[in-house]
Amino acid sequence: MATDNLVQTPPPHLRSKEQTAVAMRDVLIALAPVTIAALVAFTYNALFVIAVCVGSCMFFEWAVRKLRKKKVTLRDGSAAVTGLLLALLMPAQIHWLNMIIASFIAIVVIKELMGGLGRNIFNPALFGYVFIITCSGILASWTGHLGFLSAGFDGVTGATPLAFIGPGLESMGPSYGSLLFANYGGAISEVGAFWVLLGGAYLIYRKVIGWVIPTTILATVFVLSYIVGSDGLYQILAGGVMLGAFFMATDWVSSPMFTWGQVIFGLIIGVCIVLIRVFGAPTGAVAYSIIIGNCFVPLLDKVFKPKRFGEVVAA
Amino acid sequence: MAEAKTFKGGIHPPYNKELASGKAIKRAPVPAEVIIPLQQHIGAPNEALVSAGDRVEVGQKIGSSDAFVSAPVHSSVAGVVKEVVDVPNFTGNKVKSVVITTDAEQPEFAKKPGKDIDSLSADEIREIAKEAGLVGMGGAAFPTHVKLTPPKDKPVDLVIINACECEPFLTCDHRQMLEKGDDLIAGARLLKTAVGAGKVIIGIEANKMDAVDAIRSKASGLSDVEVEVLEVKYPEGAEKMLIFALTGRKVPPGKLPSEVGCLVQNVGTAIALYEAAAWGKPLYERVLTVTGPGIREPGNLLAAIGTPISDLIEACGGFVGNPVKLIMGGPMTGWAQSGTTANVVKGTSGVVVLTSDVVEMGEETDCVRCSKCIEACPMFLSPNFIVQAAKRGQWDKAEMWGALDCFECGCCSFECPAFIPHVEYVRKAKAEIAALKKKKE
Ligand code: SF4
Ligand code: SF4
Repeated sequence: MATDNLVQTPPPHLRSKEQTAVAMRDVLIALAPVTIAALVAFTYNALFVIAVCVGSCMFFEWAVRKLRKKKVTLRDGSAAVTGLLLALLMPAQIHWLNMIIASFIAIVVIKELMGGLGRNIFNPALFGYVFIITCSGILASWTGHLGFLSAGFDGVTGATPLAFIGPGLESMGPSYGSLLFANYGGAISEVGAFWVLLGGAYLIYRKVIGWVIPTTILATVFVLSYIVGSDGLYQILAGGVMLGAFFMATDWVSSPMFTWGQVIFGLIIGVCIVLIRVFGAPTGAVAYSIIIGNCFVPLLDKVFKPKRFGEVVAA
Repeated sequence: MAEAKTFKGGIHPPYNKELASGKAIKRAPVPAEVIIPLQQHIGAPNEALVSAGDRVEVGQKIGSSDAFVSAPVHSSVAGVVKEVVDVPNFTGNKVKSVVITTDAEQPEFAKKPGKDIDSLSADEIREIAKEAGLVGMGGAAFPTHVKLTPPKDKPVDLVIINACECEPFLTCDHRQMLEKGDDLIAGARLLKTAVGAGKVIIGIEANKMDAVDAIRSKASGLSDVEVEVLEVKYPEGAEKMLIFALTGRKVPPGKLPSEVGCLVQNVGTAIALYEAAAWGKPLYERVLTVTGPGIREPGNLLAAIGTPISDLIEACGGFVGNPVKLIMGGPMTGWAQSGTTANVVKGTSGVVVLTSDVVEMGEETDCVRCSKCIEACPMFLSPNFIVQAAKRGQWDKAEMWGALDCFECGCCSFECPAFIPHVEYVRKAKAEIAALKKKKE
């Protein structure tokens, strides 16, 4: 009988088709709306940013795996996702060197040197971005014309919506409607919170991410903003809160595994976002907050171990 | 209708029950030779009662043990003992087995008129179960009479018949409910008497509504038998999950169902108990499903214990396509075989053959911390951390994350995007933890 091809592997013998590569493909699909909106808004500037970030992330991934004589894992799609996320965090007029540095930090330092996908405690894209905003004076080029490819776009010559954050200031900023669908400012992903939300909903529907982390972050930012006298709705629509809540804080590797840990994680990030934005500098507030949250993950995974089925709490 | 009952966690694998659910149970041809392992249950092994050259009849006891946790085995055929030797069983372990050359003519089993089954006492029923060699027929093969002897201080008020058949592909319990519904109900009531319970619930998954209707109508006049519909979800038929879904009672970690006043038995076991009580028929044959995309004509067969699976596959038209997995049992928990030499035992619920186009082949990578295994685990364990601890050899940590509470359902591995075989690590951890505990004593 035709038994030559029989393989003896441990059970279960049925597996879900949803392997890592499928999830990464889903993330790319989920990022499509905001990416398209970015391309519409910033045309070839956005195209350039995306091409450089995705290209250099994939290149670094390939190069570092080759150099360290490991299997090249480009096919799991995680390098492409990191590149696209990184691109979406960048302003349209950023110098290409910044992007290459950020990609290097993301892929080589955070992802690879921490042990490969699964062991990095920070989201690589986010950390790459934070690195350049803290370290290479990119803030100077945020609205100026210092960078490469400065011409051809004049949408953001004035202040970004984040400049209006603060008690009583929001009413002078753009309307909720324009923040939702088409307000250009800051990063190339800041072209309308709706497009990000759409992708986030898709990820939850596809069960790539859970709803707990994004919901807690958004709710915390919303409520706490009002408490400190700021406009909660404006806060969650402006800047990178949506992208951070749905695509960055939910990063599998760098977020807590248990539900209650996820709630606390969301709370920490939400509180940090509001405090940094209102009392500190708004630019990068979301990114810093998520990085702070990431630091708590090992602790949260220890503290919130779920009760086993039938386990009774010791009285 | 009330909403289908269920538990928290679990998965929805592809079920593929339609391959065999419409096929009536057929008797498998009697093979030229049967190999009957002397141990087919959890517990003490049996001593052989026969030796080479002895004649044996259908249903004759050929192996037994004085130990309480044990179940005798019986010959499934009329024939001559060829030898008593060590033969690898379906898990690959060598087990002392009786090899019998079968007669060309096989007589029907002579039913012995038993007592009126309604007048049997609890002790008599336990004795019948033990003598007939009954074990759990869902796969675990735990001796039935032991389960029917719950601790004195833990009264059992409810007997649950596990008729979920939540393993994908398998349909033998479904067919037995349709074809032997009366026997099932009678067997369930015997179980009830044996443990002194007041009620029987037969829990059936919602993908077998014809069985629900059939059993309901047969049980309509009985006040002590209820049929409940359960959500189609794996592992709905796991003891603890099933008890919780039906009653809301939670069996604590490390404890047995009797802790919460329940006894769970499988469909096949209940029917076998009826047959043993009414006709004096020991457990020497069973219904199983031979199915999967790699089988030409899937079906449900009544096969003699000890039948080589190659005979069953032949009886179902042989292989088709490119078979890459041949599984003894269900696809979630069964054992992959390297060939067709394994023999049917009391716990064999099916032979499932999967082809290359349906088996997801992947390479194990590092955990990406997606939490999917945690959400899927019906025991609320942290399979990823058990694996992590096992990889590092930290057995105390593996235990802390729940390795000992894992009943190896495979939900975690089913969902894992990193293709990690958690169950393999858990088994390793369990063995290491047990060894460590032994050392300490
Ligand atoms: S850890 Fe064990 S009980 Fe939990 S899903 Fe995995 S195999 Fe099932
Ligand atoms: S499902 Fe797999 S990859 Fe995801 S957390 Fe569990 S072990 Fe890790």
